[in-house]
Amino acid sequence: MSSDARVVDVAFSRYDGPRSGRGAAIWSLARWSSLRALGARRGWKVKVIPIALTLFAFAPAVVVLGLRALFGSSSFTEEIAKGLPYSDYSSTVAVVILAFSVVITPELVCPDRRDRTLSLYFSTAISRGDYVLGKELAALMPLLLVTLVPVLALYVGNVLFAVHPVGYVQDHAWDVPRIVVSGLIVAFYYGTVGLAISSLTARRPFAVGGYLAFLVVPAVIGSVLGNALDAPHLRLLAFAAAPIHAAEGLYPGYSDPQNIGPWLWGLTTCAIALLAVAVLAVRYLGEEE
Amino acid sequence: MRQSPVGAPATVPGDGSPLVEIEGVTKRYGGVVALDGVTAALTDHAVGLLGANGAGKSTLMRAILGLVKPDTGRIRVLGMDAAAQSWDVRRRLGYMPEHNALPMGMTARDLVVHMGDLRGLPRRIAVLRASEVLFQVGLEEERSRLIRTFSVGMRQRTNLAQAIVHSPSLVILDEPTNGLDPAGREEMLTLVRRLSTDLGIAVLMSSHVLEDVARTCDAVVVLRDGRLVATRRLDREGGEGRRDVRVRITGEASAFVREATALGLGVEEAGDWLLVSGPDAEAVLRGVRDAACTAAVGLSELRPAGPTLEDDLVGAIG
Repeated sequence: MSSDARVVDVAFSRYDGPRSGRGAAIWSLARWSSLRALGARRGWKVKVIPIALTLFAFAPAVVVLGLRALFGSSSFTEEIAKGLPYSDYSSTVAVVILAFSVVITPELVCPDRRDRTLSLYFSTAISRGDYVLGKELAALMPLLLVTLVPVLALYVGNVLFAVHPVGYVQDHAWDVPRIVVSGLIVAFYYGTVGLAISSLTARRPFAVGGYLAFLVVPAVIGSVLGNALDAPHLRLLAFAAAPIHAAEGLYPGYSDPQNIGPWLWGLTTCAIALLAVAVLAVRYLGEEE
Repeated sequence: MRQSPVGAPATVPGDGSPLVEIEGVTKRYGGVVALDGVTAALTDHAVGLLGANGAGKSTLMRAILGLVKPDTGRIRVLGMDAAAQSWDVRRRLGYMPEHNALPMGMTARDLVVHMGDLRGLPRRIAVLRASEVLFQVGLEEERSRLIRTFSVGMRQRTNLAQAIVHSPSLVILDEPTNGLDPAGREEMLTLVRRLSTDLGIAVLMSSHVLEDVARTCDAVVVLRDGRLVATRRLDREGGEGRRDVRVRITGEASAFVREATALGLGVEEAGDWLLVSGPDAEAVLRGVRDAACTAAVGLSELRPAGPTLEDDLVGAIG
């Protein structure tokens, strides 16, 4: 034993040091919530699905960059890179993004209602508004893992594999803000809608079912009626696709095979997101503390 | 019993300035009056809030936390306005809700660290203090277990640990012994008493069980139908009223009176009872025992001469 060894009593001591502010409390709630939704400090079964979906989201970027790494810069690899433009990345992994949000968002709010933990949170420095903000951030951060980070990784890879990296950056300077904004739009939309629907129930399976029903059922109805009535605008009922089309509209050369302009998709995205925010406000801000 | 007329300040006296000042607080839920003009100043380090179910205890506690805004009146906590500065108030207070509100999927340690974080502790300090408070409530060995695997008593102790992790000046305990078995209740009452006596944390505890309040608090505030009906200091040393006793004798009462008088005690007849007085409580009790023994009579009942705290408060609770 070292001569410095001491027996220390685990005594209760008063803390009179500095205390962090409201922002830190919100950030703490967001960080804890998102980490737990991703399976941190929980069993491996909870971790498997988020990790697998994250890997799936990176798969297209990994394939393209892997081929470029294997075959170097050639016309073949240039064609492959063009085959996966940044504008199309979200639609390529749309199912993965949807599945990820279905897994993550109910986990953020349903347990708090099920275990009645809300009263405990609201007895701390967290207000109802802070709680909603914290949970929104908690949804946004992991969702950016599948909506933003893979596209940024693809961009960085393309820069590194380019024959003239500086020239590539100059030629694609506007792609970075487009990638960031489109990733934020998609993540915010799926996160907010998922939270809103999950806030309606304390039971996770119901939240998952309700979320899927909201995104899928109107899309099917819109598609069937759109074809039958030759009314392409009914396809705007594809609520799952709305933010992805809106984000694609940020890139030049956007073409919509259904002849619905990006502004209409953008309006649909805003309307659904606002509806979701209103639901969250009613569910959390409307109740007396 | 000191009764305070509704609307007039009722002060529970202590050594310092009031921890909580309540001025004419009224709160209605629709047609139901939860609090009706409650006025009180709580200065003692451990105050019990006593009342039957529905008396307004939980509403008053939530108003003190700033979670419920009074329709009229105001509450100052540690010198801060509970409604206007609710964020600051909640950061300085601890709260243990009545119902189980713990996240079942978390470990006790993670929860306590998280609640420390949310109440403004730096992360490193929150981790350190979580270990300290879990040790204090006797959960140091169980800190890494999921809360869903805990017994009711362990959950209540976890609940208490999260309420004190940030070193609050005042901790509010809403029915902390609810649902506990006798052993768990005993442990919880001991812990609650330690908060104010050993750990330096002021306590405001609600209960509908008089014994719980009497064992853990220095003062009691009684609510009935949303109105404050009594405040009283709990004198642990035994006051003037507890010195004399009244006894009921089986056998020859005159022999008992003679022997007690010979021992220097004063004895008066009051119906079936004999009122026995003496210089102090111990001398009276010893004298009663010796007089009964010498006079060869039995004691069928022995009570304090004046009204007991229980008599006072049960009457006030209604």
